[in-house]
Amino acid sequence: MDFTFSKKEEKFRTELRTWLEENLPEGWLEGKRELPEDVEEYSRVLRQWQNTLYEGGWAAIAWPKEYGGRDASLMEEIIYHQEMVKVKAPPLINYIGIHMVGPTLIDVGTDEQKEKYLKKILTGEEIWCQGYSEPNAGSDLTAIKTSAVKDGDRWLINGQKVWTSYGHVADKCFLLARTSTHPEKKHRGITVFLMNMDQPGVETVPIVQMDGHKDFNEVYMTDAVATDADIVGQLDSGWHVLIALMLHERSGIGAELFTLEQQFNDTVKMAQQYKVNGQSLLMDPQIRQKMASFYARVRGSLLNYYRNLTTTLKNGQPGPESSIDKLVVSELTKELSSFAVEIQGHQGMLWQEDAPVDAKWQSLFLSSFGHTIGGGTSEVQRNTIGERVLGLPKDMGR
Amino acid sequence: MDFSLTEDQETFRGHIRKMLDKFGGTQVAREMIVNKTENLQKLYSMLAELGCTAINIPEVYDGLDLDSLDLVPTYEELGRSLVPGLFMETNALAVPILKKYGTTQQQQTYLSAIVTGQKQISFAALEPFNDFSPSGIECSLESRDGQYVLNGTKTLVPEAGFADAFLVVARTNDDQQDGLTLLLIDKTDELTITPQTSFDEAKHVAKLDFYDFKITQQQIIGEVDKGWDNLQEGLLYFNAALSSYLVGAMESVVHMATEYANMREQFGQKIGRFQAIKHSIVDMKVNLEIARSLSHYANWVVDTDEVDREAAVYSARSYATEKFIEVASHNIQIHGGIGFTEEIDCHLFVKRARYYDQYLGSTSFYQEKVVASLGW
Repeated sequence: MDFTFSKKEEKFRTELRTWLEENLPEGWLEGKRELPEDVEEYSRVLRQWQNTLYEGGWAAIAWPKEYGGRDASLMEEIIYHQEMVKVKAPPLINYIGIHMVGPTLIDVGTDEQKEKYLKKILTGEEIWCQGYSEPNAGSDLTAIKTSAVKDGDRWLINGQKVWTSYGHVADKCFLLARTSTHPEKKHRGITVFLMNMDQPGVETVPIVQMDGHKDFNEVYMTDAVATDADIVGQLDSGWHVLIALMLHERSGIGAELFTLEQQFNDTVKMAQQYKVNGQSLLMDPQIRQKMASFYARVRGSLLNYYRNLTTTLKNGQPGPESSIDKLVVSELTKELSSFAVEIQGHQGMLWQEDAPVDAKWQSLFLSSFGHTIGGGTSEVQRNTIGERVLGLPKDMGR
Repeated sequence: MDFSLTEDQETFRGHIRKMLDKFGGTQVAREMIVNKTENLQKLYSMLAELGCTAINIPEVYDGLDLDSLDLVPTYEELGRSLVPGLFMETNALAVPILKKYGTTQQQQTYLSAIVTGQKQISFAALEPFNDFSPSGIECSLESRDGQYVLNGTKTLVPEAGFADAFLVVARTNDDQQDGLTLLLIDKTDELTITPQTSFDEAKHVAKLDFYDFKITQQQIIGEVDKGWDNLQEGLLYFNAALSSYLVGAMESVVHMATEYANMREQFGQKIGRFQAIKHSIVDMKVNLEIARSLSHYANWVVDTDEVDREAAVYSARSYATEKFIEVASHNIQIHGGIGFTEEIDCHLFVKRARYYDQYLGSTSFYQEKVVASLGW
């Protein structure tokens, strides 16, 4: 057992912390953290933040040095997430570029693709979105219908994508399209294209979520154009690219867990300060017990993550048990968000300027329903754990 | 960063598992139901031979002077086979209390004998119709004619039949709410021990009655009137240990459920293919792994002075008791009709889960302790 960080790791933390103090937008650390409502302005501010990160060398720490990264160790990635959560850093507008597209191109991209895209991902000059889900291909991604058909020396893409995060601000799309049909083996015949969003055949329509935000989009493609040079990996072998990409994911759940921990600590403070009949909510025995239960679960999930992380550090890759962390963090975030509003009593319904303490609690409650759906529903996660960790029989349809 | 048991600890686990498997898993627990205790006694001496009883005892008393964390594999393996007995009461409660508050003479009398397995110590704290709090302790120790006498009744004293001594909590001061004192009383013929019937028949419990029972200064552990605080300190070790024992038991339960779901067929397929079953077992597994992480941390932190020392132990205990009863109950449901029978082990686990969920305070009692220890 060793919960300490090495000197090198502590030095890394101090360096990042100092840099953040000096470079976060003005007033950010003091609590001035509102981002513009207007899409254009929002995008401008966050692209600027992305560029600031790039200039400081903090945009993509896990990338190899030769491509502008830091060759960061897994522990350094963990520290990076801890510090970013601690200062409630602005969102990374090019999250998909940094964490998905970049690593994939570094792995399987052509020299031309690396040359053309990597630097612009880092600087925020080109924002990426991900064209995966479709109206009839959600949990079952192999059911995609968007097609790419060869027409002379170009590919014509037709179909519809949905739940495309950052689609409304993106310049580029990491797109899954069907290039051939194999009814018996549906994961075959899928190809990854790097598609230009700024072209006549691509139309983006924002989706209004239950919390009023518009984080996702529908993307319609009508004879949208791509070329052979835009194919990632081999034709018809997009599924392999996806699997390789998933293996790159090694620290994202950590970021979610640190956010959950922070949300829990904030909930405790809120419950201490929130008074009903002149008495702090934390004096209510039932609320105290529930808080203790959340404490155990939040601590337990973090410790469980550290236990899985130890396995990853020792074996070089995460074991199947790591799939438990994603299920736990999303379910727990949803429950905790609900609890924080529930304990506010009848006033808990009030929102925005009428919110009893801070409208963020109501917003967190509303947005929390996305946690157990996005990135693989809890049901799919449970199938994965049941089959890969426990060795239970495979589900129907597979 | 390294949050895992060491290779040595895992190797040691292997030895214990091998030994316990020779006893037939839950067979020893089942023998308790019909009052056969020879194998449990034999098992206990094997634990001593393997060195389990020596782990947290100082070298001067022939111990290994290792940490609480080194005991985790033993606790988990005992839980896995639902082994009854006084290993935890002895090594995770009496030993820490003797080490911290015992006189040299008391340590000499007990610690070496614990290492060899010659002394096992039970815990007599609970009283009929009282809760587990200072005001629930009425059993009184009075000084009369220059001599201490003990009067009162203790209930649900575990495995009194094998105990060589009892750690007893007694009231010594009526004016102070927590004016309590800890006693270590050797078993003699003068003690009145009456076996009690519990529905967890694989663990024996008894009532102890004291009528003007004479106590010497030698039997008082730690300062008079400070027994409650000292006991709480000792119970941190016990509850950390208990959480690991329960993790071991949960592991057995998840294993049983998985095996059954992989074997039993209905509607022409393995029932584990149905999501209603599969997802239920996954949730059991998730609860088990979270409980394991909390318990490993609790057994590590208890030997440190980290700020979350108490909160971590109480969280581990309350989470483990709460989830064990849930997991053990689901196991019966997954087994269907056969899970309701005496023949299959499912019921043994539910009964033990029930026992520990309300032993020395309920889940909500420990949740309150979590909150209080965090200063909320």
